[in-house]
Amino acid sequence: MDRNKILLNIQRSRIKPVNLPEPFYSAEKEGDKTTLFKEILLQTGGDCIEVNSTEKLNSLLDNNFRGATDLRRNELFKNFLSYSNKDSLERLKTVILEGQFGVAENGSIWIDDSNFPNRLIPFINEELVLCLDAKQIVRNMHEAYLRTDNAISGFGVFISGPSKTSDIEQHLVYGAHGAKKLIVVISHETNLV
Amino acid sequence: MTNHAYKAARFLKNEERATWHDKTLWMVRKKRDLMALDVPDWEELREQASQIKRHSLSKLDDYLVQFEEQAINNGAQVHWASTAGKLNEIVYQIIKENNASRIVKSKSMLTEECGLNPFLEKRGIEIIDTDLGERIIQLKREPPSHIVMPAIHIKKEEISELFHRELNSEEGNTDPTYLAATARLHLRQKFLEAEVAITGVNFAVAENGAVVVCTNEGNADMGVHAAPIQIHCMGIEKVIPRLSDLAVFTRLLARSATGQPITTYTSHYLNPKPGGQMHIIIVDNGRSELIGKEDYRDSLKCIRCGACMNTCPVYRRSGGHSYHYVIPGPIGSILAPHSNSKEFENLPFASSLCGSCSDVCPVKINIHGQLYRWRQDLSQQGARSPIKKGIMKVSGKILASDKMYDWSGKVARWCIKYLPRVLIYNRLNTWGRERELPEVPRESFKEWYNKNFREGNKNGQK
Repeated sequence: MDRNKILLNIQRSRIKPVNLPEPFYSAEKEGDKTTLFKEILLQTGGDCIEVNSTEKLNSLLDNNFRGATDLRRNELFKNFLSYSNKDSLERLKTVILEGQFGVAENGSIWIDDSNFPNRLIPFINEELVLCLDAKQIVRNMHEAYLRTDNAISGFGVFISGPSKTSDIEQHLVYGAHGAKKLIVVISHETNLV
Repeated sequence: MTNHAYKAARFLKNEERATWHDKTLWMVRKKRDLMALDVPDWEELREQASQIKRHSLSKLDDYLVQFEEQAINNGAQVHWASTAGKLNEIVYQIIKENNASRIVKSKSMLTEECGLNPFLEKRGIEIIDTDLGERIIQLKREPPSHIVMPAIHIKKEEISELFHRELNSEEGNTDPTYLAATARLHLRQKFLEAEVAITGVNFAVAENGAVVVCTNEGNADMGVHAAPIQIHCMGIEKVIPRLSDLAVFTRLLARSATGQPITTYTSHYLNPKPGGQMHIIIVDNGRSELIGKEDYRDSLKCIRCGACMNTCPVYRRSGGHSYHYVIPGPIGSILAPHSNSKEFENLPFASSLCGSCSDVCPVKINIHGQLYRWRQDLSQQGARSPIKKGIMKVSGKILASDKMYDWSGKVARWCIKYLPRVLIYNRLNTWGRERELPEVPRESFKEWYNKNFREGNKNGQK
């Protein structure tokens, strides 16, 4: 009933049609996308590590994030559901996820349901590690939404830096509710001869 | 008296705090400027956003139906609420049907507008605001004073005292990091216990039924993904046509609001988690009527970034509570009289009409133009005091006549110079209440000009 009432009320004040503008692509800053991405990522409070091969990436994760839950691994991902109640998720310290693509203009990374077995995972941990292929960095949000190819389903999120708040006298504090630390590992595949 | 000027005067009594408020918001405005300058084609981006919103409003019924269809296809349940009361009832029904009692809510100006919290509390249901700023004011039992920084009027010493009393934090510890950590622990527990999570909505995409919510803290996501039931409350004006349009708005929103390139989390919710429920409530509450008012329609383009507040010389120096409406500042002063033109008739007058709000608005709402329009409409409805009306009438006559103008200038100069102070600084002279009148010049500009530069005068050849 309310539905029709609202729709009728809108129709009653039918206003002159205004054209929908064509999708917008703005000119962008010159320069290397990865460099820009890194610069903004650091500004948003994130950390960045660069590696130049898959082996280096894996050994770095093994060495620097021992004991982390690496959900890029298929076995772990598949078996995760069995023990993923909220309290066990709450005990996650460090989580490693595959980032799908990065956005140079704001240092954010897109992840969705295909990257985590439970939607709380990117938020409930203390430290989030996102791995990103340097080739998967787009210039701006226009390219980013094109990149998703209208295939967003379920749940997806752009994450830019660690969780933060400035609600107490505008003092910036990291770790409001989500991850206190965000580390992005960018890998440059240099094995093309 | 409950008008803006009276409440602003109360705010200004604490000079130190008022100065801090003014400077802090100006700092946010400057951060916004740096961001805007850094984006090539910023002005084109604003224009694009404005056009998309104007288009969406012109076909709002179609887009709402399309959005509903897509959302239902995705697996969400869609409800419609024509009034604030209906929204509250629907939320209450969902809670009752699921025998829930633990509710968390992330920032939503709409539920604030509709009075959802007091409605549920009256029925014995506790609802926890999870944005840190909102939790602070909820514990303090105060309304928000800003739409993006709801606790901007509160100092850390007060928060420390409040948290010591309510959350058992260390007495006298005013370190923001410590206080935020205290809130994190307290609210983490609430997230894990919650059965229902309520959020506001920044954007709703017609073509795929997505609900988009932007936060820095991650509180919307902690709530939504932890609780089995998620409820998203959106005004009808939140719907935009295409996913690609989101690019325009996500580029503008955080830059305009806080001077960040994007919020930490930009979350797209399309379907419920396995075994969960996702409800979307589409709320009108006077908006469909506003669409019909051509002069004011553009105010529905607002994306609630708060840039107009941060830049406003009146808001910065009077505080959000002086507006006594759920949305303060320039945009609130346009929206408030639509909900109650009698109660909020003084708000469109709480402006210098400097136009700074319109300059920073990311969707190009002609805010100061609408404030001016409201003044005319409200004056016709009799909003002005008889004194002001009289003064305006006399001023109009004087300004329309050359002779009267010259003569009144002379009289005024003579009076200010020779009349006793008590007579000049009288009750009608509101300017003189806080300030000294300027020193009186010997002659008017016109007299000076005629004497020195008029053809035929001694200096006329200069």
